[in-house]
Amino acid sequence: MRQLISKARMSLENAPMFQFPARLVGAAVALTLAAAAPAFAQQLELKLMAPAAPGGGWDQTARSMQQALVAAGVARSVQVVNVPGAGGSVGIAQFVNGAKGDGNQLMVNGFVMVGALAMNKSPVTLEQVTPIARLTEEIQVIVVPANSPIKNAQDLAAAVKADIAKVTFAGGSAGGVDHVMAALFAGAVGADAKKINYIPFSGGGESLAAILGGKVTAGISGLSEYDGQIKSGKLRAIGVTSEKRIAGSDIPTFKEQGIDLVIANWRSVVAPPGITPEQRKTLSDAVEKMVKSDAWKEILKQKGWEDAYLGGDAFADFLKKETVRVTDVLRSVGLVKS
Amino acid sequence: MMDTFAALAHGMAVAVQPMNLLYALIGVFLGTAVGVLPGIGPALTVALLLPVTYKLDPGGSLIMFAGIYYGGMYGGSTTAILINTPGESASMATALEGNKMAKAGRGGPALATSAIGSFVAGTIATIGLAFLAPWLVDFAVRFGPEDYFALMCVAFVTVSATFGDSPVRGLTSLFIGLTLGLVGIDKLTGQARLAFGVPELLDGVEVTTLAVGLFAVGEALYVASRRHHSEEKLEPVRGSLWMTKEDWKRSWKPWLRGTMFGFPIGALPAGGAEIPTFLSYSTEKRLTKHPEEFGKGAIEGVAGPEAANNASAAGTLVPLLTLGLPTSATAAMMLAGFQQYGLNPGPLLFAERPDLVWGLIASLFIANCMLLVLNLPLVGLWVRLLAIPQPWLYAGILVFATMGTIAAKPSVVELSMLAGFGVLGFLMRRFDFPIAPVVVGLILGPIAESQLRRALAISLGDPMTLLQSPISATLLGLALVALLAPFVLKGMGRFKANED
Amino acid sequence: MSSGDPAQTPRRVDRAGIVIAALLAATAAVLVWDARGLQSTSMYGMGPEAMPVVIACGLALLAIGNFVDALRGNLPARESADPLPVVLILIGLALLIAIIGFGGGFILATAALFVTTSAAFGRRAILVDSVIALVMSTLIYLAFDRLLTLSLPTGPLERLL
Repeated sequence: MRQLISKARMSLENAPMFQFPARLVGAAVALTLAAAAPAFAQQLELKLMAPAAPGGGWDQTARSMQQALVAAGVARSVQVVNVPGAGGSVGIAQFVNGAKGDGNQLMVNGFVMVGALAMNKSPVTLEQVTPIARLTEEIQVIVVPANSPIKNAQDLAAAVKADIAKVTFAGGSAGGVDHVMAALFAGAVGADAKKINYIPFSGGGESLAAILGGKVTAGISGLSEYDGQIKSGKLRAIGVTSEKRIAGSDIPTFKEQGIDLVIANWRSVVAPPGITPEQRKTLSDAVEKMVKSDAWKEILKQKGWEDAYLGGDAFADFLKKETVRVTDVLRSVGLVKS
Repeated sequence: MMDTFAALAHGMAVAVQPMNLLYALIGVFLGTAVGVLPGIGPALTVALLLPVTYKLDPGGSLIMFAGIYYGGMYGGSTTAILINTPGESASMATALEGNKMAKAGRGGPALATSAIGSFVAGTIATIGLAFLAPWLVDFAVRFGPEDYFALMCVAFVTVSATFGDSPVRGLTSLFIGLTLGLVGIDKLTGQARLAFGVPELLDGVEVTTLAVGLFAVGEALYVASRRHHSEEKLEPVRGSLWMTKEDWKRSWKPWLRGTMFGFPIGALPAGGAEIPTFLSYSTEKRLTKHPEEFGKGAIEGVAGPEAANNASAAGTLVPLLTLGLPTSATAAMMLAGFQQYGLNPGPLLFAERPDLVWGLIASLFIANCMLLVLNLPLVGLWVRLLAIPQPWLYAGILVFATMGTIAAKPSVVELSMLAGFGVLGFLMRRFDFPIAPVVVGLILGPIAESQLRRALAISLGDPMTLLQSPISATLLGLALVALLAPFVLKGMGRFKANED
Repeated sequence: MSSGDPAQTPRRVDRAGIVIAALLAATAAVLVWDARGLQSTSMYGMGPEAMPVVIACGLALLAIGNFVDALRGNLPARESADPLPVVLILIGLALLIAIIGFGGGFILATAALFVTTSAAFGRRAILVDSVIALVMSTLIYLAFDRLLTLSLPTGPLERLL
């Protein structure tokens, strides 16, 4: 750490001055312009629900969409509404019941909602909404502390097979993507997924501390969250869940290590039930146009999100398959009563 | 050390550029404005402002964030003192003594000691952040679930300071809080407890909803019910508007002790801002030379917790900047702010972007000074708010109190809960049950439970894990001593008396 | 609130205290009943039902403690309370919730709460207060919704702005 600081100073001396041009006024002007919208904008006035509190992933997705939809001239105005609660269960219930047949409403959702709805025995399901498109996904990673004897996925698999109870996985909330992934990993290496010792933490920060402090065997999270730790050598990534290696990364996939584990934390956007095919087409077109806009690409780059656009019926299929897969896993670990 | 100084000096030179001072000022102003709304903490403000800063450069927007963070924390204590409505859970301890002071016409000194205490604590903690961060973070990650559980035990023991004169009634309040803490999805198994099929209950009881309901709504109902006895006359200023020499003398030690609690606990990844405020409150109550004033408006009870909550705010930046660990909602928002410029806080940030890190640390100093400059002149104005005729004053308080909930969670269930907690608060006041332990139970109960269960899951159910960790064993020993000491001392006193 | 006679003799059984004890015992029972519905899916360590049971035991003990206090008449003396203002404020809160629930918007809802509370504290100038309340809540709405972009509930009045 001392070294870090002296390094910090060295690069500080060479770094350009820490300057802040007087752009506040410019920002205000730019915002006003953005709000006024380009002249060719259609008359779409959308209401976009983020079924989560401000600040989280879904909220950020919604607010980014708001920005891109307006900037790309697809919509005249977009209003983001936050309806937080229970992994989206509260939001989707309000969306399905309150927005039925309304062709001007959209809701952001994602992987976590699939599990949350199943676990909370929600009367409303994702089958009721009209799928529009998958937007982004994040690759998952398993990490171990740098001083762990586990060097690769095979080592971890061996440990899991030897005594599954002693291998503790730290990750996010119970039934979330990290939990599902731990169960899938155990299943893929031939252990009893029912017996995994998964320790849920609230928020990535807490679980990261537990991994760094060596309190648990391994940690599971989205790749971007642990990126800095991996690069600095404090954590060792033993595998990512993508089909193929991520460009420019030297972390092996699980597949190339002989473990069939492919999963991603996706986010998507859906429309209310009961809308006409025309309304559905309008919304799908609008989202497609947004995804292809420069503004959206710029946002993806800023946030480090992976473009995973999948529209139309292909997405509807994907959603169905993913729902079945997740529900099966949750049932196998006993989080959902069969 | 000299390296750090040079880097900090450079950062300071950057942060005092006029444009950055302006950003800091805007941030502090917005943070205070929104922070006074109960239920809307600094995190929500930062979340809402994030899009506005897209067009700003990284340094400018981070400096603004720093201002919002500190401003939001301070705004919460202003309402806690003036209208007994803690704007966020961390300023609950402030309300206990602060509001009593305000009612006794000593709102001026209460606000002043809170502003100056925040400043002192913020400054010391920021210095700590600059110099101790790497060392502190190594210690912080060593804290495992069993150690957090032990820390909670220490915190639980100190709660008795808020019990009032009857342990049975104090414990009853605490257990009501613990019961409320059970409501919602169990964090470790995802099962719903005490939700009775209501989806809005799945996320549990919001601390601010409970605090605002019990404190603000309950108080309004209680005062209204007793109006026929004698109209409560509020005198905004009795004695000096400013802190007297005596006030200074009684404040400076609590400020320092509060900082000592706030900074290290804030730096713990799951430490939070509430626990240090409780620890500080109970410490001040034990150490004070004026124990008779506690519960009636003791300035130590404002100075300590306020310093503690500001110091913990700086503390949360330790894991954020050194590890990329967001340990509070606001820190998570700051992380989002970093990421929006393609920066990843973490071990590499100090090396990759020292200009930003030291600029941010320097701007924390600046934000702190701004806060003092902005708020001290306002003390006179704030206090005059209490001169508003009683009907309008309480009507305004209720509008204000509900507004935070309306803006954060505008659901009928949440608002009904607010009203229900108001009735609970009224009944508890009427039957002389202390209010604060309910909120303490709601905050500490769930943390203690989930940390204990995590520890036991890791140890495969072996409770000895609690004693095997040196940190945990020490803390548990401390809790035991704190629990038994009053009895032992009492016994010794009796023994001595017998001998004489 | 019925037993609020300050001239009570201290040794009389306190009926309110008995009710409180009964409520605590009932809460304990609800906790245990709710915990029985939980599955102990956690294979290692403590399940989700342990904590509710522990708290229920605590509540049961406290119910006994409060009961004993009530029998001995150990509760502090209470002064009489006037139920009317309390009911008025509660009506105000109910109005607020109803107006927001039925989409009446922020301004009307807070104005209703303001006027009833003010009346509860003894003001009778309802018309004047209504005007003050409407102006104030409109200003608050403009400041927080438009300027600070909080999203407050909208109703007919908000759409006019």
